[in-house]
Amino acid sequence: MMASRRVACLLVSDLAVQAELRAHPELLGHPFVVASGDEGRDEVIAVSPEATGANVRTGQSVAHARAACSGLIVRTASPAREQTARQSLLDAALSLSPRAELTERSAAPFAAEAAVFLDASGIDTLFDSERHFASTLLAHTEAIGLTAVTGIASSRFAAHGLARRLAIQPGDSAIDTLSPREEGAALAALPIDLLAPDDALAARLTRFGIHRVRDLLALPRTTLAQRLGSEAVRLAARARGEEIEPPLPEPRNRRLEEASDLDHAIGQLEPLLFVVRGMLSRLVERLEVRGLAARQLDIEFELEGGGRDARRAGLSSATLDLRVWLRVLALELESNPPRAAIAGISIATTGSAQRGDQLDLFRPRGPSPGALDRTLAELEALCGNDRVGAPRVADEHRPDAYERGPFELMQVRDDPAQSDEGLAPPGSLVVRALRPPARAEIQVEAGTPVHIRSAITRGRIVTISGPWRTTGGWWSERGRYALDHYDIQVSDGIVARLCFDWVEHSWRIDALYD
Amino acid sequence: MGSGFPTRAAHTCPGPTTSKSPSSRADRLQTLRRDLGSALRQGLGTEPDTAACCPTGLPELDRLLGGGLPRGRLCELVGPSSSGRTTLALALLAAKTRGGHCAGWIDGADAFDPASADAAGVALERVLWVRPPSLREALRCAERLLETEGFPLVVLDLAAGQSSLASTNDPPTWLRLARLAAGTQSTLVVLGSERRAGASAHLALELQPARTHWSEGLVLLEQLEFEVVLARHRAAPAGRSVRIATARSRAA
Repeated sequence: MMASRRVACLLVSDLAVQAELRAHPELLGHPFVVASGDEGRDEVIAVSPEATGANVRTGQSVAHARAACSGLIVRTASPAREQTARQSLLDAALSLSPRAELTERSAAPFAAEAAVFLDASGIDTLFDSERHFASTLLAHTEAIGLTAVTGIASSRFAAHGLARRLAIQPGDSAIDTLSPREEGAALAALPIDLLAPDDALAARLTRFGIHRVRDLLALPRTTLAQRLGSEAVRLAARARGEEIEPPLPEPRNRRLEEASDLDHAIGQLEPLLFVVRGMLSRLVERLEVRGLAARQLDIEFELEGGGRDARRAGLSSATLDLRVWLRVLALELESNPPRAAIAGISIATTGSAQRGDQLDLFRPRGPSPGALDRTLAELEALCGNDRVGAPRVADEHRPDAYERGPFELMQVRDDPAQSDEGLAPPGSLVVRALRPPARAEIQVEAGTPVHIRSAITRGRIVTISGPWRTTGGWWSERGRYALDHYDIQVSDGIVARLCFDWVEHSWRIDALYD
Repeated sequence: MGSGFPTRAAHTCPGPTTSKSPSSRADRLQTLRRDLGSALRQGLGTEPDTAACCPTGLPELDRLLGGGLPRGRLCELVGPSSSGRTTLALALLAAKTRGGHCAGWIDGADAFDPASADAAGVALERVLWVRPPSLREALRCAERLLETEGFPLVVLDLAAGQSSLASTNDPPTWLRLARLAAGTQSTLVVLGSERRAGASAHLALELQPARTHWSEGLVLLEQLEFEVVLARHRAAPAGRSVRIATARSRAA
């Protein structure tokens, strides 16, 4: 027997207020409003429950609202913060279902809401009941800083209607579910406005005295299109629960972004880091709810007076450690401060799967990923990005060539410990490179260097071997080289690698045997 | 026997003897002192405690040091150019990284040669190579790396041939580094041309070039020999020396 389709609706009825509370938790319990921010004619567009209790209403001017409620806090609306809150709601839904779909912005009177539909079919195999599923969903939503309600039914409309009813008439519970059997009767009693008809259709329905869903369903189907248009037919189909398509799955690698417009431009590092810390902690909460971690962050600053400053910070392994990311960003900003005051911030990442600190029974434990990331970030801040890493042997013949690659824990861990077999015995002849090489004045007799004078050594050359010629890069004017190398021992005891550069026609010491 | 809470005597671990007479206690104490004394007299060099040491990979030197360089300590390798400091440090690095450990090389002298390290058997992917621009940064990098657990060996190379790194005799700096090394049980090896760490160093090895071997006929540099003197050791007599030689070069 095929399980029936179930849909959950996760709804935040006052998104602007919730977005502000999420960004500024200190506002909780205080009367505040969100104002449009239009210069000269600020209008209240969202009101907190405390301000509602003091007779502040949407549509009032800010001055009027202040007169109605002393101590009213006025926040300017931030589209970026609201969009972030909507995306966060979707993250909460995606933490429990891969099929979750954010609805488009609704028209009035539901313009302030944000809703996500989730495919809740078959959840009874994972949770004890639909209520248990819904309470887990609300807990995840709470964890990312939003307060929502949930309705579960057999169709989107039914679930949405339940959730809207909970939002309008809050009761003891933020959860409501409808079984398929009781759905028809329960939906019939709902007001027609919950179907969100467009303005023209809503006016016509009101004119015909159609106020409840049951009134619409009582009309004959055959003439509904002729009398009220195709929109009414779609509305009636939704009211009957005939809209059964499940929510579409979200792309796997969705970017998670926290964005905020700042009330005042920030020109100093410390307050900037304070704001970044809050945004980062919210991003980490979203990642945590999704079971993901961040390996790379894209930070974009909107600069005062126009312009953008984009930068990228990465770690050797994905982490959720807020302290690590804060340290990395602080070092990045300290070493390379923005060129103007900051008016807006966006931090984005593509979540990566969290990798546990896999230990090995037979190999030594290396540094923990978080500690290593912090250390690498600080070392790079001290020395520069191109001066920290793992050494590599360059794949070329030039004797002084070297390479540096990233020091990656995964590579370190995955590479097995080597046995002594087949490796060079300890204590091979090794050299210390001189960077830059030391210029040398050489006295040559019969084509052989016999005396040296340089900053490193001076004296008679007592033993010499060579020359060994190395040439290459002849296809490039700047990269060509032709070198004669000698191993020399000087009378002061130093054993060095002497080099004659045929391109520059000069002698130099480029390494010391040590 | 009555029930109730067990007495203290009931929890006493059974020993080899059950008598508690003063004379037997004195005997046991004497035995303990004797055993402890013999362990102390064994000293370094006869029975190396490899768990507490960082082997150098050079058997003669390991014997001299009692198994290797001590863990969680600051050790100095000093000597003039061509005295074998780098050979010794790379041998240490090779032994550590081949065992699967990570190690840090703070290249204050900017002299690390990856090809030489590779030839010496170092697992390069396990080496964190840091090239600080100045001495001040080199010391800060060393502090940072010693604070990070998971790097049991940190080499601080200050043996610049021609640079301004030569003079750093700030005792608090070295004391701090020594304490950090003790905290994470990392061995901090400082390469230099002269001793700097003073009393903060647990061990100091002074190296001198001894002999250079060149092959007969077609003259090729074949082998270097160094004299290593144990100039300072907090737990063993100083002044002993050993001669070590590099492996014969492949060209020979």
